[in-house]
Amino acid sequence: MRCDAVTDHKKLSPDAAAGGEALPTAPIGRKKKKTLRSLLRPTTLEARKARAGWFFVMPFVLGVVLIYLPILIDSIWFSFADITKGVAGAPDIVTPVGFKYYIQAFNTQYEYKTLLLEGVQQILLEVPAIVVFSLFVAVILNQKMLGRAVFRAIFFVPVILATGLMDSIEAMNQSSDSTEDGVSGGTLEGQEEGLINMMDVELLFSNMKVGTELVVYVVNLVNMIYDIVNFSGVQMLIFLAGLQSISPSIYEACQIEGATAWETFWKITFPMISPMILVNAIYSIIDSFTKESNVVMSYIDDLYNSATPKGQTVAMYWMYFLLILAVIGIFALIAKAFIFYQKRD
Amino acid sequence: MDANMTESTRVLKDNKKRIRVDFAGKMSNLDRWKLRLTSSSFWIDKVWYLARFILMVGISFIIIYPFVEKITQSFMARMDFIDPTVNLIPKNWTFDTYKAIAVENGYLGALLRTTGLSLLVALLQTLACCMIGYGLAKYKFRGVKVIFFFVIISMIIPHDTLRLSLLQHFASFDIATIQSLNIGGPLAWIFGKAPNLVGTVWPMVILSITGLAFKNSLYIFMMRQFFRGVPDELEESACVDGSNSIRTFFQIILPLSIPMMITIFLFSFSWQWTDNFYVPLLVSSSSANMMPDLINVIPDSLNAINFEAAKAYTNAIRNTAGLMIIAPLIVIYLFCQRFLVQGIERSGLVG
Repeated sequence: MRCDAVTDHKKLSPDAAAGGEALPTAPIGRKKKKTLRSLLRPTTLEARKARAGWFFVMPFVLGVVLIYLPILIDSIWFSFADITKGVAGAPDIVTPVGFKYYIQAFNTQYEYKTLLLEGVQQILLEVPAIVVFSLFVAVILNQKMLGRAVFRAIFFVPVILATGLMDSIEAMNQSSDSTEDGVSGGTLEGQEEGLINMMDVELLFSNMKVGTELVVYVVNLVNMIYDIVNFSGVQMLIFLAGLQSISPSIYEACQIEGATAWETFWKITFPMISPMILVNAIYSIIDSFTKESNVVMSYIDDLYNSATPKGQTVAMYWMYFLLILAVIGIFALIAKAFIFYQKRD
Repeated sequence: MDANMTESTRVLKDNKKRIRVDFAGKMSNLDRWKLRLTSSSFWIDKVWYLARFILMVGISFIIIYPFVEKITQSFMARMDFIDPTVNLIPKNWTFDTYKAIAVENGYLGALLRTTGLSLLVALLQTLACCMIGYGLAKYKFRGVKVIFFFVIISMIIPHDTLRLSLLQHFASFDIATIQSLNIGGPLAWIFGKAPNLVGTVWPMVILSITGLAFKNSLYIFMMRQFFRGVPDELEESACVDGSNSIRTFFQIILPLSIPMMITIFLFSFSWQWTDNFYVPLLVSSSSANMMPDLINVIPDSLNAINFEAAKAYTNAIRNTAGLMIIAPLIVIYLFCQRFLVQGIERSGLVG
């Protein structure tokens, strides 16, 4: 690349000089003017760089200002309003109703309240499992072993395939399971669906003195293993990238000092990868609450497609979003205390 | 080992990467193996290696098994779903399910349309996200933090929340309008009426070039992290040589970020392919269905009402449709998966 740049230079310099691209000189002592004119015809290098920066992010800025923000504002507005179809061609009539739908979501939609709780529970259950699992797999995939390339290929299949569509097929199949259970003779299947039985695990744990909560948690996790594996693809990639960026000389030093593999993991790998754990945890939370098989999302989606007032469902979406935002915020605050950032020069 | 053993130790060079230490015949091959086999670390290593391997095979099985199940079910004839002895391997092989979906649901048309759309959208998104990520990573100017804040915002607000308002805005498309306040935009003023873009590719194109489509904020973030790892000296030397920022970007930065762009392209292509939110909402129309629409319609000839195992059968049909949708992706993945992993590893998503 460097070579290209240098050879280009010879061809470049005449027309660059003609185009007025010579390095600008900044007069000393004069204040920089932050005007539109200085942005369009910059005289200092800084201003010129700022202009170039604006040029590169311009698509996004235009998109946000002209399209995304209006959509966002409208969406918030719709949650405070009644929307009625206008006469053909005319725009819809939007009448503000205040907090009516927010209050209604709690007072009349009884299911919503319990589902919100369930949704947060689902996230609290899933996210630690996904993060731990993906870290574990990434560490293993990072070691040399027979058929590593094949395993990598298989493990990243879910990144491509298990998102969106397959998830929604799964959700559709499950919803048809629950609605048609009484009609067809498929009730047995539901019981067999779990990989392991609660009783077996209880038997296993009965001699160890652990609470039933832990047993339930373990059983839930094992039965969710398919979900966990499928939703940890991107996290695995991120962890793998993180692991590869740790300098091998640190490990070498550890080995010479006589640290065991266990010590090396907890004293080196874990602190070095801790920023990635935060990133992954937040990504998993977002992924987990936006996916279609999420209990709250599928509930609101169903409502959206039914005759429920649209304002009602939009209000429900926003409430759920705020709840999750709170979860992310609390988590990030707690995590901040435990994260180690390597200082780089 | 004793000291006298090391006295006559010779180091032989096998090849460039490997050396062999010869203990001058004092230790036979057999002895060496004995020493090895009696050391505990050797066995711990081997057991751990085996355990790791079995674990990996097990998890691979979890990933692959559902696909195997779906594939075998897709070949099952209707009676196989009632037959309790049929488990995984169908007794009556049939292509009916595939045929019905291909013919009655218009698979080929959907395939072509989706290929076109995904290619177009993925190309636009890759370029746009590359540019935006570059701007965010390499330039410091007022408001760069605000812009990055909006990237994060568009990442964490679920698109379902914006569904209604997205649909409304593209049904009568205009820029910078807030519909609920009846603030009109320039397009309505020019054309007399805001154009309806739903059912065309324009909503996806507009969202893609502005970096606002599905998961684009993630791509922008990845690109930004990648460009932060590219040394500033490249641009500085280009600048000294008289190249302006735009030229530097296209002639120096873009060629060196091609591996990363391939990764982004793959992500965006495959996620656009299986996208079941934006496409059914904004692009599909009754006359031209796209891939994700295939799962919603059960072909007439396979209609399973009043059939004993209707539920299992319908699920199998839906799964078959899903398989047919992702089949092209699997082929692409087989060829491109190493780009995916390498790109991420190189990106330095870290830091």
